[in-house]
Amino acid sequence: MDAQRLKASFARVAEQGDAVAMFFYADLFVRNPHLRDMFPVGMSGQRDKLLRALGHIVSRVDDLPNLLPFVQQLGRDHRRFGIVAEHYPQVGASLVATLRHFSGADWSEELAADWQAAYGLVAKVMQEAADEDALTSPAWWNGQVVGVERRRFDIAVLRVQPDRPLPYLPGQSVAVEVPARLRHWRYYSMANAPRPDNTVDFHVKLVDGGPVSTVLVRSTQTGDRIRMGAPIGTLTLDESSRRDVLLVAGSTGLAPLKAILEQLVRRPAPPRVHLFFGARDRDALYDLEDLTKLAQRHPWLTVVPAVSDESAGHGFSALLQSGGGEVEHGNLPDVVARRGPWDDHDAYVCGSPEMVGRTAERLTRLGVDRARVRLETYADAQR
Amino acid sequence: MNSPNLPVVPDGSRLTPGELQAVVFARAALGRRGYDEDEVRGFLQYVERELVQILNERSSLAEEVDRLRTQLSKGGPGVMAPEDAHFQAVRILSQAQQTADLYVADAERYTRELAHEARLHREAILTDAKGRAEHLLEDAHRRAAEVADAAVRSGPPAPVPADAPGTPVLAGAGAPAPSRLPEEERRRMEQEITYLRTYSDVYRTHLRSYLEALLRNVDEWEDSERSSLPPAPRRP
Repeated sequence: MDAQRLKASFARVAEQGDAVAMFFYADLFVRNPHLRDMFPVGMSGQRDKLLRALGHIVSRVDDLPNLLPFVQQLGRDHRRFGIVAEHYPQVGASLVATLRHFSGADWSEELAADWQAAYGLVAKVMQEAADEDALTSPAWWNGQVVGVERRRFDIAVLRVQPDRPLPYLPGQSVAVEVPARLRHWRYYSMANAPRPDNTVDFHVKLVDGGPVSTVLVRSTQTGDRIRMGAPIGTLTLDESSRRDVLLVAGSTGLAPLKAILEQLVRRPAPPRVHLFFGARDRDALYDLEDLTKLAQRHPWLTVVPAVSDESAGHGFSALLQSGGGEVEHGNLPDVVARRGPWDDHDAYVCGSPEMVGRTAERLTRLGVDRARVRLETYADAQR
Repeated sequence: MNSPNLPVVPDGSRLTPGELQAVVFARAALGRRGYDEDEVRGFLQYVERELVQILNERSSLAEEVDRLRTQLSKGGPGVMAPEDAHFQAVRILSQAQQTADLYVADAERYTRELAHEARLHREAILTDAKGRAEHLLEDAHRRAAEVADAAVRSGPPAPVPADAPGTPVLAGAGAPAPSRLPEEERRRMEQEITYLRTYSDVYRTHLRSYLEALLRNVDEWEDSERSSLPPAPRRP
């Protein structure tokens, strides 16, 4: 197997972009019509994912130590889609056919052998990781919605009872599928530390035009069923650290940080914790009531709510709004910076990509070691 | 005269079975050796049969070629190599998928726009409601101040503090020494009570009528939404 030859071959094919993935899936479904049902009706997202994954793998094909974890995770991830051993050679055949089709005159017996060997290796690693995972964990968890709280017209807090224990670390998330949008998986963080009754909470914000979030926020009812993949994610508490903690949450980016907060509450001697909870306006601070109660119970916890799109207010409007207590005004990075210094803290940041990026950058400028900042963006993963 | 009546085959035409039948060989001269006449005749018959068969095959092949040519020129359902058929299927499926993707993207864009408009609409309603609430509060304040003012003026003559109307000072209300409650203080408190009572009356009335209007609005909204949707199937 010649890594350089593979890379050059893939670079030539990948120049043809979406058409490559289009051909691959059409070829796969013509040869194996029964596989079509495993995919959503709209395939544009799927094609992007395929090309990205292929690009990632090919670019690291000569760097196995870095490639293996990615491929293993890919194998585990595919369990929830119902992928089993027999599917691997079918995918391999269509992949090689696609590469041959787009290589044109550059195709050769040696290249075919290279690709077959590379695919065989990737498929083997994926399958082994999936098989190993299957020893300890199901392909997916079925869950039943046991509580729905609509906190605002576009934000809901759902409580779900999994059909069997769902072990996870606070801060992690699972892919969620609803029956009304089959084959659409979206990641949501568990918003609580693991409970004895195994229930988990999800904070869901309606994304305009988002197929899954719309269903979850607008039409999900108690008793509805959902499916969940295995928990993943690295926005977890650094248990080895004894430093004070700074949590910065934008909107429903609060979910994983609230789980981490609950984990800290259970410590016999929690560190000092500052939780900044930001949104555009006051009524989007959907969980402030609960957070305020927590802060009243625990003197080590300070909760700072912040709104970015509302002025400080005056006259009677200010009087009308005063029910919610004091809030800071401004963007989260600015509000956080005003309350510093933070250079002796561990920081955990979650929210929109823009807010997370700017907060991390600001914290670094304020002297917080970048290695002490853990972050996650919810981006498109929640649509 | 000795030459046999051999078929004459001019350039460009072919030997026919008829010509073979008509062949007559002259007898060999006496004393010379010749082929057995029956054998020659038998062989000629065999050659003739073969020739007939070849000619038949040839004409049926020519017919087949004509038929295929016509079919091809008419563009009728041709016979395709399996490889080509596969690519054709892949192409058709790709096109169908592109159409589906287009529909999905359109639907998503439509819901996104719809949701965005609804959000703007909601914000407009909220801003409007806030404006109205401010207006209500100000109105209530103004009228309560007037009523309190009037109450003081119609009461027994007493010096009215210049800052009294309209600036209720709640903090001072509960604290006067019980031993001697100055007349002035009592009057101030009465005035304040009148103010607050009127204020809350006016505010309540305004608020009630506004909330009722909002509720009617929500009902209408629900009705129109219900009538525009097909009946939802019950989920299991």
